[in-house]
Amino acid sequence: MIRNNLKIAWRNMVKNRFYSIVNIVGLSAGILFTLVICAYVWSELRVNSELRNANRQFILQSRWTAENMGNELVTIAPLAKALYEQYPTLIANYYRFDGVSSTVSKGDKHFRESFQVGDSTLLSMYRFTLKHGDTKTALANPYSVVITEDAAKKYFGKTNVVGETVSIENFSGDNHDFMITGVLNNHSRNSVSSLLDDKENQFYMPIASAQFFGREILSWDYAHMVSYIELQSGVTPKQLEEPIRQLLKKNAPDYITANLTQYPIPLKKYYLSKDNGLVKKMIYALSIIAFFILIMAVINFVNMSVSHSATRLKEIGIRKVMGGLKKNLIFQFLTESVLLVLFAMLLALFLYAVSRNYFSSILGKTIPQLTDFPPAFIILPFALALLIGSLAGLYPAFVLSSFKTVDSLKGKLSTVKEKIWLRKALVGFQFSIATVVFIGAIIVSQQIGYFFGKDIGYNKDYIVSAQVPRDWSFAGVSRMESIRARLSALPQVSDVTLSFEVPDGRNSGSNAVYKVGADSTTAVSTQFLNTDEHFASTFGIPLKAGVFFSQPGAFADSSSVVINETEAKALGWQHAEDAVGQRVKLTGSADVYTIAGVTNNFHFGSMQESVPPITFVHVGNSRIFRYFSIKLKPGDISNSVDALQKQWAVLMPGAPFEYKFMDDTLRHLYKSEIQLRQAVYTAFLLALIIVLLGVLGLVAMSIQRRTKEIGIRKVLGSSVSNIILLFIKEFLFVILIAGIIAVPVAYTIMQIWLNGYAYRIQITTTPFLISIALLGAISALLIGLQTMKVAMANPVTSLRTE
Amino acid sequence: MIELKHITKWVNSGGNRFFLLRDINLTVKEGEFISIMGPSGSGKSTLLNVIGMLDEFNEGEYNFIGQPVHQLKEKQRSQLYKTHIGFVFQAYHLIDELTVYENIETPLLYQNVKASERQAMVSDILDRFNIVGKKDLFPPQLSGGQQQLVGVARALVAKPKLILADEPTGNLNSKQGEEIMELFKQLNTEDGVTIIQATHSERNAAYGSKIINLLDGRIEK
Repeated sequence: MIRNNLKIAWRNMVKNRFYSIVNIVGLSAGILFTLVICAYVWSELRVNSELRNANRQFILQSRWTAENMGNELVTIAPLAKALYEQYPTLIANYYRFDGVSSTVSKGDKHFRESFQVGDSTLLSMYRFTLKHGDTKTALANPYSVVITEDAAKKYFGKTNVVGETVSIENFSGDNHDFMITGVLNNHSRNSVSSLLDDKENQFYMPIASAQFFGREILSWDYAHMVSYIELQSGVTPKQLEEPIRQLLKKNAPDYITANLTQYPIPLKKYYLSKDNGLVKKMIYALSIIAFFILIMAVINFVNMSVSHSATRLKEIGIRKVMGGLKKNLIFQFLTESVLLVLFAMLLALFLYAVSRNYFSSILGKTIPQLTDFPPAFIILPFALALLIGSLAGLYPAFVLSSFKTVDSLKGKLSTVKEKIWLRKALVGFQFSIATVVFIGAIIVSQQIGYFFGKDIGYNKDYIVSAQVPRDWSFAGVSRMESIRARLSALPQVSDVTLSFEVPDGRNSGSNAVYKVGADSTTAVSTQFLNTDEHFASTFGIPLKAGVFFSQPGAFADSSSVVINETEAKALGWQHAEDAVGQRVKLTGSADVYTIAGVTNNFHFGSMQESVPPITFVHVGNSRIFRYFSIKLKPGDISNSVDALQKQWAVLMPGAPFEYKFMDDTLRHLYKSEIQLRQAVYTAFLLALIIVLLGVLGLVAMSIQRRTKEIGIRKVLGSSVSNIILLFIKEFLFVILIAGIIAVPVAYTIMQIWLNGYAYRIQITTTPFLISIALLGAISALLIGLQTMKVAMANPVTSLRTE
Repeated sequence: MIELKHITKWVNSGGNRFFLLRDINLTVKEGEFISIMGPSGSGKSTLLNVIGMLDEFNEGEYNFIGQPVHQLKEKQRSQLYKTHIGFVFQAYHLIDELTVYENIETPLLYQNVKASERQAMVSDILDRFNIVGKKDLFPPQLSGGQQQLVGVARALVAKPKLILADEPTGNLNSKQGEEIMELFKQLNTEDGVTIIQATHSERNAAYGSKIINLLDGRIEK
């Protein structure tokens, strides 16, 4: 029976090629998106799971009593080690690293790299393996370094580079040779080798190298190390609370003991919930979109199968006369739909393999290859095909098999006609989803446009930033200031500034500031930006009052600071002018600062948050810096950059010129929004394809049903355009209703999304009108093209079909 | 074998009750060959459909081999007709996507006949009707007469007691029609199959042992 069913299913597919192809293509679009999202979710959930004893791997986090006291990611340096040594029954292992970055040179290759200066347990604790080198000794001696395969290829063009050396610069400008003692194999994503973003750390050094970089890693005062611990089996994180408290109490300075709580978080959970659960939110959002796309595709399938039933009616009738029971027929139709879904699945798998890179770039994560999945997963596509096939086939199977035998034999479609409203409702539902996704795509785009627009508060155009060698001494600052002057003398350059920060949301730290004479409890939390006096002019930040440290060229007074408008208001000055010349103090410091100027508010970080109080401190005073930001004159930008690069190499030999345009910096800041926009556009494209295929099927059915009517109308003198309009009208009504339903839904969803941003666009009617109008127009065009042939046909032929 | 008592069937159309069958009383004994005659719309097909249990009736009683059809559930009825009745249609009603062999096999599939047995039965009937050479062709590749031959073969393959034929020669030319009627005659006399056919043609009707005339849903006395 099954063989017979398969045979007839195949013959029917071949016979109705158009219908089968439309169906398979539509379904495979939906399945493809679902597969991609499933793979994405799977790989996100798997991050950290391949580490050894993954369930017992934890990262220590810091909770300070006030937000500006320290970063939650880094911990007291000796803590993890002390825990391991004194509580061996609780802690099985630990790994700590200090993250630093500097210039690595090999011959004439100079790059800025990040390092993990950390414990040798890295190689034993996590199942990281070496392609070359000895795991036991690789991280034993200072001035040795373990690098990744990629780094080896980057510097040497090959992977077996054990015994070679690279030269690494420390923060006082000294270079030292480091011997490569190991080359790491590639390993799956985890929060050890890539903690902050998806960029993997390439260089690992023994903890003894900390001295070379002047890091005080033995001090209980040094709260800048990332710490991982592995618990003994059966130990709960709660059991660590008391030991941690004891250790801090015994060793750490009082202000740390009083203000800091250290707590372990499982690594698996850490990844999903970091950055306010960004990963988790993305997983949810994409899963919901994928679910709806799949539903749309399935609806199409149902619609097409039912509307296609006319051609099957006779067969159904005959089978019933031959003694086929309803259940036989249902089984037969289910076989057919499962087979069709299976083909769609195969097509989707093929498309998956082909489009994997495209989706990887959209989602900003590598989508696993088909071969990356465990072999057992091979069942999944088939199980999914069976499930979708049954779901999609069930309704048509029941509808078709319950026609009356005699009616089916005569080919009477009365029952089908009555159900047309249901199919229209389903297509309407699809239109609603497509409209919602479309409106969403437009609004997300508008908001992203707003991020990059003039409301940013400064002029980002023609600015490139590049990191400079780190020599945070007095002499270092003077040298940088003289280099700055040489760079700004270039004819292609209009201004240059030296600063620790560029407007990418990452600043050096925060503190609280209060008016001299006021109580320190009135202090306002503020973010620090360490810049020279050219920052405002380079970035085009307008001043509300006063000067930005000093008039350019004049010497900056070491006690002067500049604040932004928010801070002036927060400190109680309604007019910016009132703040100029006033004196403020920082909590925990006796120094008094004079406010030299007040800037307009500008967006240093993401527009998600409102502009916080900002205090500019002169780099000559704080003596920390990272970037030169160079404002180029409009014109041939690539020539200007070349000239800049030459001058840079002359002024700072050995320092890599790895520049970034401000636009790219911003794009990085709004990375997840941009990914969302890409994902929504792709979803929209797929939704559009599916909905149009749905319309195609329904119109085909409508034409089949009305061939005779068209003939009669033409005989009575109707024009071709009149007939086309007849069909378009039938669907425009559905689109209109769908649009009306979509509007409030889209409005609500997008308003919720926009509410996550302190600065956001106003939702206007434009996205709604554009979406509905465009969808209407595209559908009308499609229907027009499809009906043209019938409308132009000789009525004699259409009438003959009866 | 068949006993129809006061069978009446109607449809409601625009508030009017329109009778398709009125008070039909008919008894058919096993081995009979009955021809139902009447003009278009007289109810011949409806009567055949009722006898074949494909269609329902509104009033009356129908006993088939002692079973009260009017009291049976759909499933039992289906069970009853698929084992005892074979159908032959004017438009052949073969499934275009199946080969001749598969078309003939279909009723056996629905009766859960075992594969080996099925093959034997289909081969037998192909042999008997001299269409072995055509078993792998699809219906549209055959002439009308050959298609109807397949239709009859399919009706007979499950060895039914009763054949219901609705204008079996309506789409055929006179020679092909004659062959089919000869076949029916032979089946009736040699195999003892009961046959009820609806027809327009006096000549075809004459093959039957008894003629019933229908007019406006009534049996003309």
